[in-house]
Amino acid sequence: MTGRVARLAALGLLGLSAAAPFVLLALWSVGRDWFYPAVLPPRFTAQSWRDLLAGERLLGATATSLILGAGTGALACVAGLPVGRSLARLRGWRRHVGAALAFLPVAAPPIALATGLQFSFLRLGLGGTLAGVLLAHAVPAIGYGSLYFLGVFAVFDSRIEEESRSLGATPRQTFFHVVVPLIRRPLADAFGLGFLVSWSQVPLTLLVGGGPVRTLPIEVFALVQSGQDRLAATGALVLLAPAIAALAATRLAASRTEVMAV
Amino acid sequence: MTEGGLLVHRLRAPFGTAPGLEDISFEVAPSERLALVGASGAGKTTLLRAVAGLGPGTAERIEVAGREVGALPAERRGVVYLQQTPLLFPHLTVAENVAFPLRVRGIRGSRVDAAVGEVMEALRLGGLADRRTQSLSGGQRHRAALARAIVARPPVLLLDEPFASLDPVLRHEVREAVRVVQEGYRPALVLVTHDLDEAGTLADRIGVLLDGRLAQVAPPRDLFTRPTSLAVARFLRLPNSVPGTIRPDGSFESVLGVLPVQDPAAPGPGIAFFPADAVRIAAHGAVAACVVELRYRVQQTTAVVALGDVRLEVPLDGGRELSPGVEVRLTVLPGAVSVFPAP
Repeated sequence: MTGRVARLAALGLLGLSAAAPFVLLALWSVGRDWFYPAVLPPRFTAQSWRDLLAGERLLGATATSLILGAGTGALACVAGLPVGRSLARLRGWRRHVGAALAFLPVAAPPIALATGLQFSFLRLGLGGTLAGVLLAHAVPAIGYGSLYFLGVFAVFDSRIEEESRSLGATPRQTFFHVVVPLIRRPLADAFGLGFLVSWSQVPLTLLVGGGPVRTLPIEVFALVQSGQDRLAATGALVLLAPAIAALAATRLAASRTEVMAV
Repeated sequence: MTEGGLLVHRLRAPFGTAPGLEDISFEVAPSERLALVGASGAGKTTLLRAVAGLGPGTAERIEVAGREVGALPAERRGVVYLQQTPLLFPHLTVAENVAFPLRVRGIRGSRVDAAVGEVMEALRLGGLADRRTQSLSGGQRHRAALARAIVARPPVLLLDEPFASLDPVLRHEVREAVRVVQEGYRPALVLVTHDLDEAGTLADRIGVLLDGRLAQVAPPRDLFTRPTSLAVARFLRLPNSVPGTIRPDGSFESVLGVLPVQDPAAPGPGIAFFPADAVRIAAHGAVAACVVELRYRVQQTTAVVALGDVRLEVPLDGGRELSPGVEVRLTVLPGAVSVFPAP
């Protein structure tokens, strides 16, 4: 009985700690004249949502973030897939070293990575450009993608590729007609992972993008700093949306078993 | 060689870091069936994969339909290698799987439909065209894989243990499917099997792969009655072997008496091997033996008889009543003995 109570209490605490920040955000985004010691806002307003939809600042930043997220997701797939696949074909210490190299941009503190990239990108003329920020976001995203595809191809039955070749398909046909359809789900996951890495990125955007590239996290950061709490909370909720969508998609995918290879 | 078949000349292929296959040469004519047998690890699969271009290996020549293919990638060899487990593409329907080899060759439209329909009909897959492969039974999966393998009519078909791990009913079903394939467009067919009876039933010739070399290639009857080496005879597990002496005149002396030998070995200690039906129980046989055990099988009942320390397994004619302890007389069919020097 005591054990059951303890488990319920632990679950309740977990639920509270997970949900509380987001409930507060939601209240902040619509609350009006909400001051201490009021537990709930005395009045509600949709003004900040109207401002977000009407104003160019947050909407433009959201559009930039979406472009960067989609681009980063695509690069995580396009570059992560061949790297992960090659790593999966290595054996012994070579695979360990390869995986460690792929892990490096993931494990490095973002500010250290951003500082390093900033120096390089400024010399290449990419500082303060959308392309530069995209490439900077791609660095950790490709690391994640490579590690993810390493796991995918470590269990992928490569005999099915041999079967395809034996039946007359070229390596290119085998890749596009057999391998890609079989890893559709992991590809979507890797795209989502890359998207999320970019979507929530602040240090790389700040240092490489400088002032000109304004993404949603950068704008939310600025709104918090300038004390525009309601608008900041609204922007933060928009930031949350893709993460919640990705979580839902993952749970949905987990409930459906898809055959990856025979 | 005959145009349309397979020629392999002096093929070498490694097993990991071990020496592997050495100096393998054989031919398979169009419409001929060659079964490869050998102990586990003998290199049967390695050989098929090297011929198909899917595994390591070098050869002086690999010809398919008269064309040198040794330097070509797998997809351009004209050889289809079917793995032991049918690997159908799970994202395609059965018909799309079968059409795959045609589509990757750029064939489209009614030609694909006609070819796929014909081969699926021949392999009794007609009603399964739109089914997902995951919903097929084991036999259907094998037949679908065979249909896909032959739809583009490759000159050479390599089947790697197509009947292994199948129950008897499924085994019969897949074996019949192979027959249909063979009769349909008559490719040169090489199949690997562990089952000597299956090899004898299905193949025109059998190749015995021992210690990385092709020890003997012969029609089943010749192989089972005339193994050319002690290693092959032992691998075939011919039921009856008798130690004795090879005499200077080439005959063989043992507990069965003095037997003439067609291809005598050098005089000295030797071992004689007999096919299962070469030793028989006969009322006027020259040698006496004692029945020690009866073995009942669907195909044939045999009696194990003892001559001193030697045990022989001999077939029982239908209706003959015997029991352990009974004395019988044996006769050996002339010319059926293969004698090799004792190691």
